Amino acid sequence: MAAVKELQRDLENKANDLNKLQKDIAKNHQVRKKYTIQLGENELVLKELDLLNEEANVYKLIGPVLVKQDLAEANANVRKRIDYISAELKRLDATLQDLEEKQNSKKEAIFKLQQRIQALQAGKGKA
Amino acid sequence: METMGTVTPISSVFPAEEAQKASRRVQDTIAERQQQLDQLKGFIDDNISVINLVQKLPDETHHNIMVPFGKAAFFPGRLIHTNEFMVLLGEGYYAERTAKQTVDILKRRGKALETQVESLKAIMQDLEAEASFFDATAQESADGLVEIREDYVEEASSRAETAGYGKPDPTFSLEKDARKFSVEDEEYNRIFSRIDELEKEEEEAEKGNESDEDERIQNEPDSNISEMSTHQEVRSSPVQVVDVAKAPEAPAVSKGDGSLHCDYPPLNRSTMSKALELPEEKKKVQAPPSTSNMAFTGSIVEHAHNIGMNMLEQQTGARSSKPVSRFKMQRK
Repeated sequence: MAAVKELQRDLENKANDLNKLQKDIAKNHQVRKKYTIQLGENELVLKELDLLNEEANVYKLIGPVLVKQDLAEANANVRKRIDYISAELKRLDATLQDLEEKQNSKKEAIFKLQQRIQALQAGKGKA
Repeated sequence: METMGTVTPISSVFPAEEAQKASRRVQDTIAERQQQLDQLKGFIDDNISVINLVQKLPDETHHNIMVPFGKAAFFPGRLIHTNEFMVLLGEGYYAERTAKQTVDILKRRGKALETQVESLKAIMQDLEAEASFFDATAQESADGLVEIREDYVEEASSRAETAGYGKPDPTFSLEKDARKFSVEDEEYNRIFSRIDELEKEEEEAEKGNESDEDERIQNEPDSNISEMSTHQEVRSSPVQVVDVAKAPEAPAVSKGDGSLHCDYPPLNRSTMSKALELPEEKKKVQAPPSTSNMAFTGSIVEHAHNIGMNMLEQQTGARSSKPVSRFKMQRK
């Protein structure tokens, strides 16, 4: 009886952990999505900047004001931003994989626990 | 043959509700994508209208417009510098562009949007195929379709096929199979009765021609084929009884036995002379002949309706009876 209770508590804890992991994964997915969109936008900007001629005026919106920027500088900034986003995406992928592995192992553990509880209860039912 | 293949009802692998659930989930995803697609299409429409406006603006040096002020108010104004645009490139970057350059940028943007729409449509097609597959599976599962899996054996493939058609699902049609077996029993009965008749005919012919014996012996293994022999036993035993009852030659059996016993007494005597104090052993020695006697008897009974058998013929019968006895033993 006590064993069953303990197992059930264990199961509950594991289920909570799994829930947390799944939430993390969902959050990770969202962040990833945001970054992918930003990456696309930045690539578009870079393309447009490349198409501009040298003497075109480029501004950056900082807060409420437009600040004039050098084209080369803007170009470099956008490239840097793209690099950053790519690195971030890679990092997110790695963490996502890690989380998914953890989730799978948790799922397996929970499955095993459930089986044990069932076996115990079946044994009790017979006895 | 029975273990050739496995039959699994699809409903046990993919329950109908589960398949429907999966299908519903895919449908949800499709709806989501459809929303995205609508949004993109809205963007494309906006883009086109902006392009049209930008193309028209530099036609005049200035435009009289209503300038929005706050959320609800407008006041009359005048739009000048109609060929100067600040174009948002994204990520907070703006570029000063002419109307023509702006239109180029907007057109490029439109193209990017269209490629996005294309990829989204492809994804949706995939999802729809998936959904239809799930629907089909749910339908099949609900209809109780079964999956028959058989190992492919080249030489027996045709037989396996027919077997597969013959019994689509052993777990479901056990009763049917039982009925089929009974039908087969009848068939076997008929076959064996025919074999019996043939045997008898041959035995009759054998009397005239001993060479038939070989043929008969060859036939016998055929009649041993399977477990159905019990039926033959049932069938043949009444014949024996009848024959024994009406056979005047029945004494001949005992005569034959006697002749055989005649062979044994010397043996018994010799054992007795050697060891009188072992009657049990004597019995043991006698035991095997007694079984052979029984078989012998059986064969003579089968011959019983033939009148006027002499000893010589009996001996041929005895010889021919040997396979019969073996056969009988197998039946038991």
